[in-house]
Amino acid sequence: MASLGLGIAMVLILIALQANSDFNQLLYSDKNQNETADFLVINKKVTNSMMGQPQKTVFSPEEIENIRRQPFVQASGLITSSKFKVVAQAPGELHFATDMFFESVPDSFIDVKEEEWKWEPGNRIIPIILPNDFLNLYNFGFSLSQDLPQISQETVKALPLQIVISNGLISETYTGHIVGFSDRISSFLVPASFMDWANEKYGAAGTAATASRIVIKTADPSNPTLVKFLDDHGYTTNQDKLKFSKTRVIVQTIVSVIGFFGLVLLFFALLVFSMFIQLIIAACKKEIQLLVTLGTAPKQLQRYLLKQFVPLYIIIGIVSLLIVVALQYQAHLVLARHDMAVSPLPAVWTFAGAVVVIALVYIVNLVTVRKYILQDQ
Amino acid sequence: MSAFIPVLYPALRKPDPKYYLSLMQIQLDQLLPVPLKDKILQRKSGIWNENIVFNPGSFVKIKAPSGTGKTTLVHYLYNIRNDYTGKVLVNGKPWSEYGRNEIAFLRQQQLSVIFQDLRLFEQLTALENIELKRVMTPTPYCTPEKVAAMAARLNVTHVLHQSSKTLSYGERQRIAIIRALVQPFEWLLMDEPFSHLDEENTRRAAALIAEECSARKAGFILTDLDDDQHFAYNVLYQL
Repeated sequence: MASLGLGIAMVLILIALQANSDFNQLLYSDKNQNETADFLVINKKVTNSMMGQPQKTVFSPEEIENIRRQPFVQASGLITSSKFKVVAQAPGELHFATDMFFESVPDSFIDVKEEEWKWEPGNRIIPIILPNDFLNLYNFGFSLSQDLPQISQETVKALPLQIVISNGLISETYTGHIVGFSDRISSFLVPASFMDWANEKYGAAGTAATASRIVIKTADPSNPTLVKFLDDHGYTTNQDKLKFSKTRVIVQTIVSVIGFFGLVLLFFALLVFSMFIQLIIAACKKEIQLLVTLGTAPKQLQRYLLKQFVPLYIIIGIVSLLIVVALQYQAHLVLARHDMAVSPLPAVWTFAGAVVVIALVYIVNLVTVRKYILQDQ
Repeated sequence: MSAFIPVLYPALRKPDPKYYLSLMQIQLDQLLPVPLKDKILQRKSGIWNENIVFNPGSFVKIKAPSGTGKTTLVHYLYNIRNDYTGKVLVNGKPWSEYGRNEIAFLRQQQLSVIFQDLRLFEQLTALENIELKRVMTPTPYCTPEKVAAMAARLNVTHVLHQSSKTLSYGERQRIAIIRALVQPFEWLLMDEPFSHLDEENTRRAAALIAEECSARKAGFILTDLDDDQHFAYNVLYQL
């Protein structure tokens, strides 16, 4: 019974350790890099009292610095908006023209890794990234109501757009080339190099670049400090991304509960083992006394008694580890079907946990054996 | 744990060289058992309440009628009872000052015993009982061949593989004698060791014991009810 208890306790503890490790792996490893989870676009809330005063939504340099200094911010970038007018026209007979705008972020925040994502002065072709949502809005909302054709991503990428950039004085035509679609930043993005150049060239003189949106990279969007920071400063972000935090808290609670039950079970298993040893020592009291009478040294007795139990623990440890290995492999296969990668083998921590538990059991045994052997003499 | 067959490892403790420097001396200092106190004080005793030194290597016979504390004395000498006043000094130091490890060491290397009630492990065979003691010391004093030779001399070869529970008392007595002789010792304590042996077997056992003691330059203390001529005793006491 004690062995079974120890086995279950050990499996539970190992599962808790392993689940924790898997969870971290799912969250942070490169294979599972979840874009919406790691990048947040922060802006100030637009309230009724702020309407008509765009400068109130601008982040001051102090505020930007403050955001940068937060421990949960791994990297941050300003979203620069264009200071010129943009008109996009579809080619051919589509007869589609719209006023629009551009924004840019540092290249490291772009989740579309395209070779075309670069621009140098003199290039007439501007690479553009569209938000996925935009294409969806067009395809499923706009085009159906206007009796226009739906467009696939590939077609959009193949379409050369006519981009007219003007500032009231000069007006120039470029060719826009859609290179990708982004879920991360809902905006019309152009390379930062183009934006800087164009703002310089077409922008109204004397207006310094201001930032009203900041993109930050964070390891953990579910971090409660992050959520609190945003609330305290009246900033908002895509709340959907923060919802993930609740799932995570729930999973971690479950894992902790499993671990806690494992610990409780381990405690009882240790207790039972300790009593089991006492029982055996009591049952063999006569024999033990005779051995001592014949000259058996306490250390010899101790070794002998421990030799009766230790192999059992090792076996329990190995069986528990095998069970966890099997479960982990199973989890690996199941999660792989959902495109989530976890290692097929348990983590080093799990093995370390097994060693620690066995060591703990051994120490408890040693103490019990010592105590009762000495008492018996 | 039903078969409690200890395969004992050699003791971790290294023998302390000081034990080898001097031969082991046993000394009684006004030794008096508490339960027998009144009874003993009414009569003359050669051992109780006296100062006695057992010199290393001597063959000591202690003759005592029943009920005078023969077994008690052996238990005091072997330090498994301590309900006494006075002292039992081993190498000048009372038993009470010895630690567990030192006592275990003495019992493995310098002090052997044949109990009156034999004290064999019933669940083990005769040979296992002997082996248990033989391998208890870091390096066994006797070879298995030597054990076989001793068993042959005492006519117990045929029972070696039987459970000690099934042996007759005389056979068990001889197994206990062999068990006491497989270890090194400087003193051998014997409590009526031949009580259940016939004359022939007693003669053989006594000869074997005398040989083994001489080989080790060891002495013995033997207690018995009557006078006997089994050994060439150096000292005789009346308890």
